[in-house]
Amino acid sequence: MVTEEEIEEISRLMKIKITDHHEYVDKVHYMLDFFEMLDSAGAEDEEVPLRRIPISRLREDRHVAFDGRLIDNLKHFRDGYVRAPKMN
Amino acid sequence: MIRVSALEYIEKITNGEFTAREFMEATFLHIKNVEPQLHAFLHIEGESGMIAQAKEIDRRIRSGQSVGRCMGLPITIKDNICIKGSTTTCGSRMLEGFVAPYDATVITRLRKSDAAIIAKTNMDEFAMGLTTEFSAFGPSHNPWNTGYVPGGSSGGSAVAVAAFEGVASLGTDTGGSVRNPASFCSVVGYKPTYGLVSRHGLVSYANSIEQIGPIARTVRDTAFVLGIIAGHDDHDDTTIDTPANTDYLDGIDEGGGVEGMRVGIIKEMCSEGADPRVIEATKDAASEMERAGAICEYVSLDMVQYSVPAYYTITAAEAESNLARYDNIRYGYDYSLEGYEFNSYVAEARSRFGPEVARRIIVGGYVSSAGHSGRYYTKAQKVQSKLTREVREALEYHDLLLSPTVPRLPFKIGEKIDDPVALFMLDLNTVTANLTGKPSISIPFRISDDGLPIGMQLMADVSNDKMLLRSARSLEKRVSLPEVPI
Repeated sequence: MVTEEEIEEISRLMKIKITDHHEYVDKVHYMLDFFEMLDSAGAEDEEVPLRRIPISRLREDRHVAFDGRLIDNLKHFRDGYVRAPKMN
Repeated sequence: MIRVSALEYIEKITNGEFTAREFMEATFLHIKNVEPQLHAFLHIEGESGMIAQAKEIDRRIRSGQSVGRCMGLPITIKDNICIKGSTTTCGSRMLEGFVAPYDATVITRLRKSDAAIIAKTNMDEFAMGLTTEFSAFGPSHNPWNTGYVPGGSSGGSAVAVAAFEGVASLGTDTGGSVRNPASFCSVVGYKPTYGLVSRHGLVSYANSIEQIGPIARTVRDTAFVLGIIAGHDDHDDTTIDTPANTDYLDGIDEGGGVEGMRVGIIKEMCSEGADPRVIEATKDAASEMERAGAICEYVSLDMVQYSVPAYYTITAAEAESNLARYDNIRYGYDYSLEGYEFNSYVAEARSRFGPEVARRIIVGGYVSSAGHSGRYYTKAQKVQSKLTREVREALEYHDLLLSPTVPRLPFKIGEKIDDPVALFMLDLNTVTANLTGKPSISIPFRISDDGLPIGMQLMADVSNDKMLLRSARSLEKRVSLPEVPI
């Protein structure tokens, strides 16, 4: 069973302000209940699939200058730097 | 004039039956008339600019200059695909007013072909939904009955194509988001082989399984648009080694269609939970394919019944990771920084996510957390692996797999929005292609007695996109449907 404390902790980690943790207990519990179906799939012995891409296929690891001033898209910047709130 | 397919448009422009300008003007006039009832779009480009672009196409045609193969064809784009200088909101207030600084690869390719991109289409917020009811800007309406949902999440794209507000559209398909609305609006929707189409410039939701795909009025138009957008892209390392400009139209009407092919009808996708009218339509589709020379038989894929919880577990985990970038500092809306500490600012700003997105982020955080990932996420990946094996084995014997695209018919707006699991089950027939990377197509098959569309889905093995389109064309030729009442 999902608890209010777990929702509070996850919402803190996910950085989403939630005022009613109890409401999310029900919402999340409802979905997790549905996910419990996976227990009956009999897939315990399956390998977890991994998509392998050889390094040779990756594009060259070098800086490609962007054609334009991305910073102009921001709401908060000063002297060419992004502005953000102070970190404690 | 506007009730034509893309290939008919090109033929008529070439023959001089109408000009690109005349077609563009007629399209904008039609949009003004029907858009208030349908709400297919979140943003419409300026009419005068689009008409000027069409005039330039006409001028180049008249003067014998080279013109790209789309010849000014009006196309619409789902609002999670970036177009330089145009807003890209993903149907979310979190990105309200965001202007994309670059073109997605699919947009670059469409522009090179002289397509005219006229509008951004409505969608469920960040592509999470099946009805467009989760769009922060209100739902789109099904042109077959405006009180009904058009499907989603690419609902605006399907509405636009079905209601002649543009000749073709690009949507995105993470769990059926192209095929589901295509089925609900009686148009063609295509989910390509994973990696066939570049995702560069697509706002990521669940990047391990999502693909951009065309929505069009005919299978031939779908093949035409796919030929423009598909192919390897250096900006997306998951694209496969298929050359750009492959002609998916080539041979689409040749080779006997489905004659001699083995078609497996997936039992679990026509189960008791499906609407009897949908089951009946599927049997009729199989009969049509048999009349065209295919050999149809039922095939069982046990893992299909677990595919939806596996899909939602995996996509929630990827969504919480992909959406972590929306901190309102690098992207976002105007919200003052003053008086906030960093984390409290981000948490406050992110409260603009709608309830469905917030729920999936929380669930994604839960299922991928250290204490619970073994219980949910790893199990979901194992089900994905077993499902992939089952489908591969089925496709070693069968050339194609057939099912209804959606087990239910379109329903009234508001009817299911408060029942997430009921909504999730609408994904039952479509998520398999995403979890396994297979190409899949929805084609219009029937209009019910109460005037609602039913679509059929075909799926083939990875990289058999051309054969799949040829087979879909073969079925499409055997179906005659009424005109949309708009």
